Amino acid sequence: MAPERPVIYLNNAATSWPKPPEVLAAVTEALSLPVSGSGRTTGSQGEDYITRAREALSGFMAADPPEHMVFTQNATDSLNLLIQGFLTGKERGCHVLTSALEHNSVLRPLHEHERQGRIMLTILPFDRGFVQPERVEAAITPDTRLMVMTHGSNVLGSVQDLTMIGDILHDHGIYFIVDGAQTGGHIPINLKDLPVDAFVFTGHKGLLGIPGTGGFYLRDPEAIAPVRFGGTGTDSFSLFHPREMPERFEAGTHNYPGLAALAAGVHFIEEKGIASIAEKAEQQTSFLIRELKKEVNITVYNEHPDLPIVAFNIMGLQNDDVGFMLARAYNIIARTGLHCAPMVHRAIDCGQGCVRISLSWFTTDEECRIAVNAIREIARNADSSIGPA
Amino acid sequence: MRILRSVRHKVCADGSFMKEFLLETAITKEFFAYLGNFGQVEALPNVGEGFYKFEKPDWFSIKGFAGDTTVEVRFKKEVMDLTADFLYVLFSSYHEGMIDVSLLKQREQAVHERVRKRLHGM
Repeated sequence: MAPERPVIYLNNAATSWPKPPEVLAAVTEALSLPVSGSGRTTGSQGEDYITRAREALSGFMAADPPEHMVFTQNATDSLNLLIQGFLTGKERGCHVLTSALEHNSVLRPLHEHERQGRIMLTILPFDRGFVQPERVEAAITPDTRLMVMTHGSNVLGSVQDLTMIGDILHDHGIYFIVDGAQTGGHIPINLKDLPVDAFVFTGHKGLLGIPGTGGFYLRDPEAIAPVRFGGTGTDSFSLFHPREMPERFEAGTHNYPGLAALAAGVHFIEEKGIASIAEKAEQQTSFLIRELKKEVNITVYNEHPDLPIVAFNIMGLQNDDVGFMLARAYNIIARTGLHCAPMVHRAIDCGQGCVRISLSWFTTDEECRIAVNAIREIARNADSSIGPA
Repeated sequence: MRILRSVRHKVCADGSFMKEFLLETAITKEFFAYLGNFGQVEALPNVGEGFYKFEKPDWFSIKGFAGDTTVEVRFKKEVMDLTADFLYVLFSSYHEGMIDVSLLKQREQAVHERVRKRLHGM
């Protein structure tokens, strides 16, 4: 159905699409040339994509030194590695804080540790999309060792006040891991100034890379025990994994085509300018929300998101039905359901889930207009026409 | 109505099994009216060429647009082994013109007993 309509892709908070031509070219180039990674080959004439990506990311996020930028498969992989690595060596039953805004990439690892009796977990509520710093402070106990929190909600698009919360945590000597999966590439991130101990990113969303890339920046490598061991191409006589950065956390062959793509994605963003990207996204997001609110039976869950994410429901229709209609009748790709963030949905829609549309630099104003017209058309037909076939 | 191809997808929200069926011919309002013999049908006739959704609580749901050759089916996974055959029979038994649903109703009743026993232990 709707074969004559071009695809309008509004699921960029899951995986961004399309990718810049430079990103696709970088993958092709990386796979076309011989591998020339440090320690992996005698060749020196080719590109060292891994170092290039590390330097690109660290420059982009003001993260120093570049060697403290670690590459993994994605944000979930990074969070597992950091949480597991931090808790190794900590006393059993220590207290950990997180928030109800979290993705399952945070909630599930923490709940698994709680189930095993490794930690006591407190989940902080949010108010209008934000975790209140005073609630963080009030939840701290003498046993609190760690807080893991999202930077930007993948449902509500709200960006948390890392400075306020990080300062409170550090005043109490609490380690702070931040999940930046949704913010990288959308808003400026200056890790030099932010009071965070570890900052997680993923390559395939706002950073415009391809799936299978991600990582984290670690201020003090000694705070996290390595939990993966293997070949690094360095110090190979030793039967123990190197403790130097970044090898400390990187075992096995890198996803170098993916890292070449990630570096290209970061360069693309730098070229466009993060301020321009954020401004365009803000204008388009505001337009979408303003238009959706004109229909009385559409509920928008955050009318002032900081990220290009719009979460809504149409009264009288199930969210997955709306997603199906958008896809089949209008060729518009959105995301429905719980968005792997069950506690957010418990709070905003009684756990029913909602429709989420999320934009990228490549989303056009015309696509926004078409999408909003389609959603409004569905909404206008929702209540009056439900009935027997 | 012949099913040409099916693809299984995971559903994040409720864990039910979702399959997308590609059909030999486009579905019609009449197809959903026929399904109405076995469950509830809702329609939004003014969206696209008409959106239809068939719901057989505890068994499965089918949704699609009139004029489209693709439908989405969601199975309640706890009883999918009991209900899947009946869903395929619903598709294969449909044709234009009058359809005698009495045999299908008997079959539905037999499966119903097993579904009820599985889900509610009665």
